[in-house]
Amino acid sequence: MSGWKSTGGKALIVGTLLAITQALAGPALAGKFDGVTLRIGTWGGSWKANMEERIVPRFEAEGGKIEFVTGSPQANFAKVVAARGQAPFDIMEILDAQVSDILEAGFLQKLNLELIPNKQHMDAYQYNENMIGSWHTQEVICYNKDKFAELGIPAPTTYKDLVRPELEGRISFPDINSGGGLANLGSLAYATGGDENNIKPALEMLKAMKILKFWSQGGELVQQYQSGDVYASVSNAGWCLRAKNAGVNVTSVHPFIKEGMVGVAKEGWLGIMSNSTNVEAAHWFLNEYLDEEFQLLFAKKSGITPINRNAIARMGEDPVIAEMLVLDPVKIQKQQRTDYSKFQISDWTDEWNRMVAQ
Amino acid sequence: MFSFILVAASQLVFLERSFFKDLGLGRTGKDFILDNYVRFFTDGFYLNTLWVTVKTSALAALFTLLLGFPVAYLIARMRSRWAMVLLASIVVSTFITIVIKVYGLIVIFSASGVLNKTLLSLGLVSGPYSIFGKETGVVIGLMHFTLGFGVLLLYSVIQTIPRSFEEAAQIHGASRWRVYYRVIFPLALPGVTAMVLMVFNMCMGAFTSAALLGGGRVFTLPVLIQRTVFMDIKYSMAATLAAVLLFSVILINILSIYLLRRMRAAHLVTV
Repeated sequence: MSGWKSTGGKALIVGTLLAITQALAGPALAGKFDGVTLRIGTWGGSWKANMEERIVPRFEAEGGKIEFVTGSPQANFAKVVAARGQAPFDIMEILDAQVSDILEAGFLQKLNLELIPNKQHMDAYQYNENMIGSWHTQEVICYNKDKFAELGIPAPTTYKDLVRPELEGRISFPDINSGGGLANLGSLAYATGGDENNIKPALEMLKAMKILKFWSQGGELVQQYQSGDVYASVSNAGWCLRAKNAGVNVTSVHPFIKEGMVGVAKEGWLGIMSNSTNVEAAHWFLNEYLDEEFQLLFAKKSGITPINRNAIARMGEDPVIAEMLVLDPVKIQKQQRTDYSKFQISDWTDEWNRMVAQ
Repeated sequence: MFSFILVAASQLVFLERSFFKDLGLGRTGKDFILDNYVRFFTDGFYLNTLWVTVKTSALAALFTLLLGFPVAYLIARMRSRWAMVLLASIVVSTFITIVIKVYGLIVIFSASGVLNKTLLSLGLVSGPYSIFGKETGVVIGLMHFTLGFGVLLLYSVIQTIPRSFEEAAQIHGASRWRVYYRVIFPLALPGVTAMVLMVFNMCMGAFTSAALLGGGRVFTLPVLIQRTVFMDIKYSMAATLAAVLLFSVILINILSIYLLRRMRAAHLVTV
């Protein structure tokens, strides 16, 4: 009994000592982002879910918390403009079309690229002192193979192949208001002999295509394929992939734009807002976003093309993805990219509105 | 009073903003100008947008009346307990968010939807009929959005008309149609006018139906305002569009009430 007492007494002492040690060690073991709340301006849906799956738990393990301010980059940009630069988030997803505006407005702070070691897996054109590339999408012609076979028409190779009486009222094209609208209008301009300063041929071809719907949400597009409303569309390969995953026999074609240029790329960027005080945490987030595992997960679930070279290489292991996306970095670099510094978006919007309005 | 100030203040803010020049990225000039209004009223594109907004809203209000009135009358005159069940189901339907309602329409009217399958099986159409990207679709969407609300308003109007009036007319030999035309409708006219105007006003400001069913091709003023704010970031022009929308609604309402009074004065309507 006395032995038990003695053992129990020792245990009590040891336990107390351990508790004291733990309490004292607590602060030293805490994460480096204790008490930090990082706000991210990004899309909702699967986009946000990807971050919640991988980045959020890792940030929370460091003691911090991540909150999302969801909306399209256009909507989030409008919020920053309305708030006169006082962004309600630390980091913002930026579309290539917004780059010149956001830089002109001075809404971003300079990056410390030393704090983003994952940039070593990217090409030099994909980052600068203001922003870092985060993903890119490949804008494709997506088409329903069964419907094309039924109609007896060949697979399209470029936009003009969609101008056919059999496809009247069966094509969906991104609205200029959507994330890929400007990029696709730009590529259509190049493919029809125009450019950033002359989109008239592109608008004429759009008119000739007899579009059923100008889609603004990718989810709409998948639903249009499922319901049989649409036989072909222009969209990023990710939405085509999702339509395929939803059971529609679709595939993607990288449109011929002009000699030496096949396919269209739209780029996504990340920047740290000028009013953010969570600078270290924000850089940590950017680095995590470019991590090979996250890029791979992101690409597979949302259909984007990774920026991280190692992730791109691993994408090819999936035969469906390999069929739908161009994974050769050299070919990716040669894809058509619209130069948004050459025109005013409002001019394009105005021309577009007048063309499509009933 | 407080709510009036709150509403008026927000209107005044954008009204004031509409008189300045857009300088890009949400910035506006300092000089008081009328350029935005001049542009609106001299540009066929903007005038057509206003016309499309008024036309689709008016048609939606008219069809809400035509479809809603018989339903409201039926429920108001029902003596069974089912009347309350029907009324409750209409109330519940008004709580369903417009996005869900519109997606319901998209499913129904899609190529593989119930409507097209039926039309095709009956041989009434040679290929699937689509409402997307057409004013027809927008009108259907707007009507779907306001129908429940319209029925509730009409129900409350019809309930105020004593059943004995109809019975008296029928005893004196009036046909069913004559009872509707000479008794019920004239007595319900003030309420019907209020309902039509309320539905019209709701439709004039409705965005979702036009955005989702218009397929990016039917431009109503709310759709254009959204684009001007988000795509162009031209707050002054957007404020001008909003001001034109507001004053169009006020003007049409005043004009409708004035016309109704003139008709009353001329005894064209018997109320």
